[in-house]
Amino acid sequence: MNALDLLAEREDMISPGISACVGCNVELTLRIVMKVLGPNTVLAIPPGCMGGVGVVGWNKRSGAKVPVFFPLLDNTASMLAGIRLAYDAKGKDANIVAFAGDGATVDAGFQALSGVAERGDRIIYICYDNEGYMNTGYQRSSSTSKGSWTSTTPVSKDGHGGKRQNGKDFPMIMAMHDIPYVATASPAYVPDLIRKVEEAMKVRDGLAYIHVYNPCLTGWGIRAEESISVARLAVKTRYFPLYEARRREFRITVPVPKPLPIENFTSRIKKFSHLGPEAIADLGKLAEDRYAFLQSLCRGKDNNA
Amino acid sequence: MNEAEKEYISPVGEGLYSANTGDWRTQKPEIDQETCSRCGTCLIYCPTSSVRRADGRFIINLSFCKGCGVCAAECPNGCIAMTREAKR
Ligand code: SF4
Ligand code: SF4
Repeated sequence: MNALDLLAEREDMISPGISACVGCNVELTLRIVMKVLGPNTVLAIPPGCMGGVGVVGWNKRSGAKVPVFFPLLDNTASMLAGIRLAYDAKGKDANIVAFAGDGATVDAGFQALSGVAERGDRIIYICYDNEGYMNTGYQRSSSTSKGSWTSTTPVSKDGHGGKRQNGKDFPMIMAMHDIPYVATASPAYVPDLIRKVEEAMKVRDGLAYIHVYNPCLTGWGIRAEESISVARLAVKTRYFPLYEARRREFRITVPVPKPLPIENFTSRIKKFSHLGPEAIADLGKLAEDRYAFLQSLCRGKDNNA
Repeated sequence: MNEAEKEYISPVGEGLYSANTGDWRTQKPEIDQETCSRCGTCLIYCPTSSVRRADGRFIINLSFCKGCGVCAAECPNGCIAMTREAKR
């Protein structure tokens, strides 16, 4: 089924009215992911934007049409490992899925997630990376890009400040756990995202991890209607490459042979507006270095453009 | 409770939570069916799943549309117009 038919015909598993910001591409990502996963799914959404907007529930009501949990920020993956064991014991199968922000994944939830990866528990873990703790007021996370303004990495009136460290290359860290499936995805590349969720559903022997890069309109300062175009520019500038890896067999799924200048991406985002040309060039250099590293992992394949 | 809900140990509460997000709209999208090429790009990218396909045509259900303008920005034919909502 092509992407359009799938999205047009399948039932929306999320409440029609959830209070994500106007134009939010995480809301789009969640709806798409859940259409692919379908009704036979148990969902865990730890504290974060998608927990806060009503998907896990409000006033005895739930915002999803499947069983949905609100685990702690730091135990999402291990709780799902337990749910998988309980389902196995009952002889039932289902998609056991986390939909967690970067705070609950790359920071607080990392230990539980790394444990699941190493033990080989069969769950699907999807991280929506908006580079920070957005629903509590835009605090920085270890995924936040260098230079970013956040409420905990402020910028002075004369333009000094912002985050001093590079963000973790988290999907690569997960790939190095030798798990059966790792992929990066973008809300701007929907057929690619859908196929990756379908691949994750096929995994039988361990963790499937998908890392989605979701530029945050409110926290980063992006116009609502540019929600998708900025996500697309992250890919077209090689800042966030789209790839997948099966136990360290790497493949770039959306090759970017002629990258656009990094300014095309950064100039659309207010959190970078204080950065001078050198700091912007540094972000471009980081993107090139990471892309070259990724290409070296794909060596010998024909699609490593 | 529907069949799926009964499968689980505890009931899922009193039903589906839904915020009236249509109320948030300050501008509203409208598809010009004359120039629309029926490509479905608007349906793919609408964050609130407000674009529907019916008999090959694409139509917008405004009930929960937040008026973000993503559909208008992504439409390759520029045939979605955003107009100001009247004050409510
Ligand atoms: S304005 Fe936004 S919410 Fe409304 S139909 Fe267009 S994309 Fe969907
Ligand atoms: S994106 Fe534009 S051309 Fe394509 S179906 Fe929607 S309104 Fe029509």
